[in-house]
Amino acid sequence: MTANMSASGMELGRADMIVSDGVDKWYGDFQALKGVTAQVAEREVVVVLGPSGSGKSTWIRCINRLEVHQGGTIAVDGVELTNDTRNIDKIRSDVGMVFQQFNLFPHLTVMDNITLAPRWVRKQPKAEAETKAMELLERVGIPEQAAKFPGQLSGGQQQRVAIARSLAMEPRIMLFDEPTSALDPEMISEVLEVMKDLARGGMTMMVVTHEMGFAREVADRIIFMESGEIVEVGTPEHFFTNPTEDRTKLFLSQIL
Amino acid sequence: MSSSVVPPNLTPEDFEVEYSEEASLPPEDPSLSPSVWIQKNLFSSPSSAVLTVVFSVIAVLTIRGLLAFILGEERQWDAIATNSRLMAAQGYPLDQFVRIWVAFGSLIGLAGFSAAIFRASGTISLKRIAIWVMNIGVAAGVIGLLAPLSSSGRMGWIIAALVVFGVGAAIWFGFGEERRRSTFIPSIWVLSGFALIGVISLWVVPYGHYFLGEDGRATVEEGTVAFSTQMPWTVMWAILVVSHLVGLAVRDRLPAQASKGFLGLLWVIAPFVANWIILRDPDFDYDHVFSTDIPMALAFIVIGGAVLWAQSSSTIGETGRLLAIAILLAAVYTWVSRIEFLDFLPNWSMLQKARLSMLFLGLYGLAASNFSRDNATRRAYVAGWVIFMVIFHWLVTAVNSPSTLNIQSDTYLGGFTLTLFIAWLTLLVSFPIGVVMALGRTSNLPIFRLLSTGYIEIIRGVPLITILFFFANILLFFLPEGMEIAKVAAVVIGYGLFSAAYLAENVRGGLQSIRRGQFEAADALGLTTSQRTAFIVLPQALRVSIPPLVGQAIATFKETALVAIIGLNDFLRIANNTIPAQTDFVGAKREGLLIVSAIYFVVAFSMSKYSQRLEKRLGLGTR
Ligand SMILES: Nc1ncnc2c1ncn2[C@@H]1O[C@H](COP(=O)(O)OP(=O)(O)OP(=O)(O)O)[C@@H](O)[C@H]1O
Ligand SMILES: [Mg+2]
Repeated sequence: MTANMSASGMELGRADMIVSDGVDKWYGDFQALKGVTAQVAEREVVVVLGPSGSGKSTWIRCINRLEVHQGGTIAVDGVELTNDTRNIDKIRSDVGMVFQQFNLFPHLTVMDNITLAPRWVRKQPKAEAETKAMELLERVGIPEQAAKFPGQLSGGQQQRVAIARSLAMEPRIMLFDEPTSALDPEMISEVLEVMKDLARGGMTMMVVTHEMGFAREVADRIIFMESGEIVEVGTPEHFFTNPTEDRTKLFLSQIL
Repeated sequence: MSSSVVPPNLTPEDFEVEYSEEASLPPEDPSLSPSVWIQKNLFSSPSSAVLTVVFSVIAVLTIRGLLAFILGEERQWDAIATNSRLMAAQGYPLDQFVRIWVAFGSLIGLAGFSAAIFRASGTISLKRIAIWVMNIGVAAGVIGLLAPLSSSGRMGWIIAALVVFGVGAAIWFGFGEERRRSTFIPSIWVLSGFALIGVISLWVVPYGHYFLGEDGRATVEEGTVAFSTQMPWTVMWAILVVSHLVGLAVRDRLPAQASKGFLGLLWVIAPFVANWIILRDPDFDYDHVFSTDIPMALAFIVIGGAVLWAQSSSTIGETGRLLAIAILLAAVYTWVSRIEFLDFLPNWSMLQKARLSMLFLGLYGLAASNFSRDNATRRAYVAGWVIFMVIFHWLVTAVNSPSTLNIQSDTYLGGFTLTLFIAWLTLLVSFPIGVVMALGRTSNLPIFRLLSTGYIEIIRGVPLITILFFFANILLFFLPEGMEIAKVAAVVIGYGLFSAAYLAENVRGGLQSIRRGQFEAADALGLTTSQRTAFIVLPQALRVSIPPLVGQAIATFKETALVAIIGLNDFLRIANNTIPAQTDFVGAKREGLLIVSAIYFVVAFSMSKYSQRLEKRLGLGTR
């Protein structure tokens, strides 16, 4: 397995932002993660692929402690995730997360959705937080929606607001868990555009997705998981044209 | 990027969404002619024709019976007219009645102003107003035709009915189809219109006034029942209209969020202030005030302030919290122990103040770590304590001073005023407790879950009347030595604790309806558990819980009637026991009970209607 880890942070000459070392996770008797070991370097975009139920979501959710892992270690930007709440707070303020179901706060306007955390966690003054929020809405292309409630927006717009909301906390790492899976086909590209823009801007990203086009175009590395294990890691070129593992080949033959 | 022109310095007002109940008008159903409608809905088949006839007959007979009951010769409505003051406020001294009007007027003014600021008034189309007015005319006509009246009385009713119906028809036909449907009048103006008619009638209609003389006999007076109230009611009406107009005029110039928060606070303290205006006029003993009360307040302000300043320092860490808990435990200890370590204090009132102040200091100190951001925040935090202490010590001193109003403790208040006080205070007591219990029951910490669940289940297993008996009669024996509590206060506490358990269950329903993703999103953004609860979870949960919560508020209001059983003179007890016992009105029970039911119904029905509007406004069920 380790033989496939072609481009870890050391080789890119950058610091590792996320280090997952032998992470185990059980749901009752069921082991969802089996010794997952991988690193993500600064400014790297890693796409995680794998069949349904392979543990992609579980892994990525362990990284900001939405799930608690039971074995191995996870460190983000040098801070290890333990039960110490200060470490959890530190890591959560560095890591943004975008969900499949958007999870916007339906009782708050778009503006309040975005400014809530900066104002109460980062203690930014209201005016500053709102100026920043308008910039972010410009960046994701929907400044005119600031006063609306999430229920009044299309799925694609909601997901872009969710991205803006995460960015408002100025994270150094963004996690995406199937950000386009709940969207109608015509809205997928508007969200992917925003994500590509982020990647070009040098954001460290871990993306779980079934969008092979995105993986091929944007990913620095692809991690392929199955049954809670990492099966193969490689550049998109290696992965799509010349995979070494049989399970990877089977997976690719099913989806391509 | 789109070329939008949204300025970056947006204020919350810019995000206010205007809610309107009928944003765009759907095309009206093609109206059927009356005869077609009747045929279609009432006589579509032989069996439906039979049913229609049978139920019409039953309806006519019921209405007739009811009207005969209300307007019958033997009814003694003067029992109500004479005792209306008794039913409103029981034995409140006549020469002090202006206090009740001042309290009532302040509430009305607050209501009119808040309605403007919160944009709480809905709108009614001219079409609906016309239909209403015509319906009132029809109702009057039905009374005129069915009631057992003298022929001149019958004529009077029918003429009135025709006039009212005519007014409705004039509104209907005076405006074209289009204008009728698209002209909206704020409902508060419509309501004040109806209220104005009522107020004017006090001046012109001789309702028949009966005056209870010294010898206990009722004398019929010339004039109206509102002889003494026509002026106050007129003033009340004017206050409502003026305060609403002022609210409309200033609302765009006030910062929306801040003024709403301030008004919300006023509503919370309003029942206490009203209580105060009506019941107290403290006669301070200034020697005592300067020698003990003020030094004591200063001690708590200075020492407490210093402690809080230390606790809110960013370097104190866990020590601050431990200190707060220690103070809290010491305060609790002074309550439960018979051996007082505050024994050196000269009198009970000082002891009470010291205990309560310590309790508050401990509780306030627990929140210190949230204010450690910078020195400005810390100063605001300590200033909050100083202001609170000043108000608290003034209040306790005033409560402990004799009142120039010579009103006895338990019977001072009664009638409808008592019903309102108990209902309102009970809701105020139960709301925070209920929300905390609901949160406790869904908490991750087993001890909180256990305590809340135990509390809720125990209370829900005990009948309300038992709890009221307990608090009204037995609680006194459990209180620490020297502490007294009025029966009304005991009832409010007991009823509040009872109500809180049910409220907790309603809120829990709301809490459970919130999807896991909301919690996860809040966590991922780094919100703390309390921030998550306050900004994300509770607002959504409470919104979902509005229908059951209003249902519960209505039940709470109605069940205040139970206090009659434990000897408080609410207006049901006055109608049921007091009035029928008067020599002039022996046995006149039905009149009072009918009026009491009508008043209960009107209040409960308005609450239910308002909650429907609130639900619509908050977009429930459309999300
Ligand atoms: N809360 C839970 N309790 C029990 N089992 C769980 C739970 N969450 C996930 N699992 C199980 O863990 C395994 C991994 O789930 P996970 O959601 O990580 O898969 P995934 O790779 O994200 O799949 P998908 O592509 O469908 O999202 C699955 O078999 C799932 O049934
Ligand atoms: Mg998943």
